[in-house]
Parts: sequence; structure tokens; C-alpha cells
Amino acid sequence: MKKLRLAITGLTACSGCQLTLLNCEAELPQLLEKFEFHYFPLACSPAVLKGRYDAALVEGCLSMPHERQLLLALRSQSQLLIAVGSCAVWGGVAALKNGTDRELLRRQVYGQSRTAVGTFSPQPLQSLVTVDAVINGCPPEKKELIGLMSGLLLGSLPVPNDQPVCSDCRMKENLCLLTERAQLCLGPLTLGGCEARCPSQGVPCEGCRGPVPEANLGEALELFLQKEYGRAIVIERLRRFYPEWKS
Amino acid sequence: MAVDFIAERDLQRCLNLLRRQGEVHAPLRDTDGMVRFGPLPTGVLPDLTAVRTLLPPKKYLLHPRETILFYQAGSGYQLPSGDVPRLILFGLHPCDLAGINYLDQVFLGNEPDPLYAARRAALTLIGTSCAPDQFCSCHLRPSPLTASCDLFLQQIGGGFVVSCGSSRGVELLETVTELIQERELTPPADTRSFFGQQLPPPPRSELDPALPDWQNLAEQCLGCGACSICCPTCCCFDVLESGGLDGSSAERWRRWDNCLFKSHAQVAGGASFQKDRTQRFRYRYRHKYRGFGQLKRLPSCVGCGRCRAVCPAGLDLRPLAERLEGCAP
Repeated sequence: MKKLRLAITGLTACSGCQLTLLNCEAELPQLLEKFEFHYFPLACSPAVLKGRYDAALVEGCLSMPHERQLLLALRSQSQLLIAVGSCAVWGGVAALKNGTDRELLRRQVYGQSRTAVGTFSPQPLQSLVTVDAVINGCPPEKKELIGLMSGLLLGSLPVPNDQPVCSDCRMKENLCLLTERAQLCLGPLTLGGCEARCPSQGVPCEGCRGPVPEANLGEALELFLQKEYGRAIVIERLRRFYPEWKS
Repeated sequence: MAVDFIAERDLQRCLNLLRRQGEVHAPLRDTDGMVRFGPLPTGVLPDLTAVRTLLPPKKYLLHPRETILFYQAGSGYQLPSGDVPRLILFGLHPCDLAGINYLDQVFLGNEPDPLYAARRAALTLIGTSCAPDQFCSCHLRPSPLTASCDLFLQQIGGGFVVSCGSSRGVELLETVTELIQERELTPPADTRSFFGQQLPPPPRSELDPALPDWQNLAEQCLGCGACSICCPTCCCFDVLESGGLDGSSAERWRRWDNCLFKSHAQVAGGASFQKDRTQRFRYRYRHKYRGFGQLKRLPSCVGCGRCRAVCPAGLDLRPLAERLEGCAP
């Protein structure tokens, strides 16, 4: 079988999602057998985007003009484009300050630098291009990335998950941080698939995988307020990974 | 009347004798204060005062996630194999026993589920009596389900009145015969209704989709899924398939599902039989109080109270059931 030709890269992000793939040590030999990692600047240099790709895996959000060019090139040269990680899917932590004036933020970070940094409010990939599939998480689970890769071999894409973190957490028979400890846990609002990693360690869910479909934000807010969390604290927590939550 | 009695102080010895027949699992209070069914360490007594465990014993019969079929190019499909350990579940309350009775009807009916059947055959069920709390409704709502078990230990002052529910139970009792005392007493009758009552089946009429209750419930529901995960009779599962990196192997697996989730009644192309949470609440209610499919008119709520105890929004179907089913509150 001909190897599948891949482009893997990151836009505005921490490279953590790509690193998670590189951390799949046990599977790397098999991956190298089945895929040609043609464009993967984080792992192999020099990397030149050239020719057609069977799939592009893109981490990170759009926040700079040159990233638009790169993403458009990836889209036009690839059969499939997959958004990997919460920044690519939702905007993620880079979009935390999307409500604040961008020029003000630029000056705060770069001062009066003469070489102006071109920057705009971070956006998810789908604000510019069609995305064929998404892998959530900050970073995604290894098994989801490997599942994506084996799916590509068989010509299939990951099935979107709509179960919340609570579902994973209850299946593990964890103590419920929300009901038993009155903690600000975003489990009911957040997409699962992470096996409730944080609540399993006694750490409330911070919502890193983005909102579940049909999230009942109004009732959840009400519940957090009843548990005596201030509105501002709740909203700030909610927007850490998904800037679109409206108060 | 003459009864078989085991003194409370002999419980540890009794458990040690039972251990010879299989690994004993029982309700245990963990350091986080939560009670779960788990392997009972030697020298530790189960928590027989706890009203409910976080997950019901269905976790032993249907695993939250499990592979149900393997595929390998060349050799084809294969069912999962492997030893099923013999387990003794000790300290099951009548509601949980009734829950297993319901699951048996679902999974051991016309087309038995091979994974369920193998695990069920390897389980010994030992029930104990309990006292309901504010979340329970076992004592308020009659159930047509039976709390069937191999042995049942009714807790009375100073010990347990033992009764057998199966030939397996008779065999087990023989293994602890040295601890059995014959006593003359009349154990208090269990007022709960898990012991094979003949009940009028629920009405045939359809549940009115226009009832405002469905929408009220839907508006308050956070969609966390805890109610059905913790329910002893919720047994819907989703089936998924995934391929291996070798490109020639695959597995089919299932995981617990929830009728309040969007994807539950969704089919190819995105269409759904239950478009919104309002419709889904009516569906959930129907399963719990009216029954459906092959078990139509067999209510599946056993009154264990877990759905109420775990719901972050404090939702409770009891008042609605009281109105619609005409039962005691």
C-alpha cells in the first residue's frame, strides 16, 4: 500500500498537540511504515510544503496574517484537513483576551517596537477554511490521535463525541467534585473523551476540551452562583479555553 | 418460627469461608467518603449501613467500555475470550437485586448477550436488608421486579436471618454451616415490594408529549448523564468501531450511553428520533415507569434513589410519577 502523505504543523499554539503525537513512542515505527511525514517542521527539517497531501493535521489558532496564507495553502493542497487540539477547534487559550482591544494588547506585549507584529484576534481554523474533522483536547489524548491515524488508513474520520466529562467521570466512579465538594467543576459543560483526567486526580474540570452540544449554560451558571462562586470568576473560568461563552 | 441465624460477630468468619468459593466484592467506604462495590480485603468488614454505592452492581455485568468483537483480515471475526472470574457480590440491597433481575430480562432473553451471560453465570448474589433514606422510593412504589438472589441476609439485632433463594444458595449455606444457629424468632416483614408481587401493569395510554413537565425537566437538566450511568437498570449502549494501525485489524466496542444525550437517537445524516431534551425526558420517563420494547409495560425503576442523589440540579421524577402512575408519593 502506498504511504499516506501528511502535512502536520502548528499555527499560534504551544506545539503540545504535535508533541503528543511524537510522544506516541510505541506506535511511531508503525506510523513511519504507513505514513510519509512530508511536511512536519516540528519533527523534520528542512520542511517545504509541496505537492498534494492526503491529510493535513493542524494545531493552533489563526492570529497572524502569514498563518492565513499557510492555512489556505494547506487546505488547497490537502484532501482532508483536521483541526487538532482546542486552539484549532475553538480558539483556545490564545483567544482568552478576545474581548480586549488588540492594539492595546500588542502594545502591552511588544511596546513601541518599530517592527510591528501583525496580529488579530485569535480564531479557530473553521473561521477561514472547511475543517473535515476535529480532535479536541489541550492536548488531545494519545489514543485519539492514534485513532485518527488508523482511521485515515481505513478511509474514515473520527466520530464526534457528545458525551460530557461527567460521563467519563461517573463511569470511573469518582467522587463528584461539583455535588460532593461544591467545586467549580466544568464537567457537565465540557466535551469528554479525556477519561476525566483532572477530576480523577481531585482537580476540577477547567473545560479544556470545549463545550458539549446543547450545553445548558444558564442552569450551570445558576448552580455555580448558588454554590457562591461570583459571576466574574465563573465567566473567567468558562472562557479560559472557549472564548465564545456569553454571560 | 425457626430461622437460620448468623451472629454479627461471626460475619468476618463467614466472609472468610465464602472467600473459598470466589473473590468477595462488597460495599466499602473509601477514604474520600464514597461507597463503592469493590474487592473486599481480608480482615475488612463491608459497609452494611451505607444506603447506596456510587455505581450499581451493573458495572460487573456490563463494563462501561468493552470490546465486543475483534476483526483480523484473513481470520475474520472473533468474540472476546478470556476467563470470567467467579465473584461473590456480598451486601446487595433489594433494589440492586431487582435491578439485576431487570438486566437479566434484557440480556438473557431471546438472544442472550454472550458477555453478559458469561459474567452473570460467574456471579453469586448475596443480598442484605437495608433502611431507605430520603432519596429511596423502594418503600413507596411497588415494583413488579423480583429481588432474586442466592442468599439473603436480613439484618436484625445482633446478626442476620439467612434465607436461600437458589440451589447455589443452599450449597453456599452448607459451607458456612458451622456458623449457623437455629433461632426461634419472627423476623419483621419487609414492607418493600421486590418479592414477586402481582401488580396491575402501567396504563396503555401514551404519555402526553404536551405535558409541561418534560420541558421543565429539560430546562433544568445539565446533561451530565449521571442519572443513567448510576441507574441499576439503564443499559443503553453505543456501539463504535475502530481500526488498528496495521490497517488490517479492527475492533467493535460498546460504551454506556444515555438517552438524554443528543447522539442517542441520532441516525446517519444527522436526523434524530428525539430532537431535543424535552422529547428525551419523556422517553426516559417511559423507560423508567412504563417500559418499552420487548419489556413494554414492565417499569424499570427500582427506587434506589441514585438518580436523585447524584443529579447536580436536584431533579426528581418522583412527583411526576406520583401524578401519572397514581402511586403513593
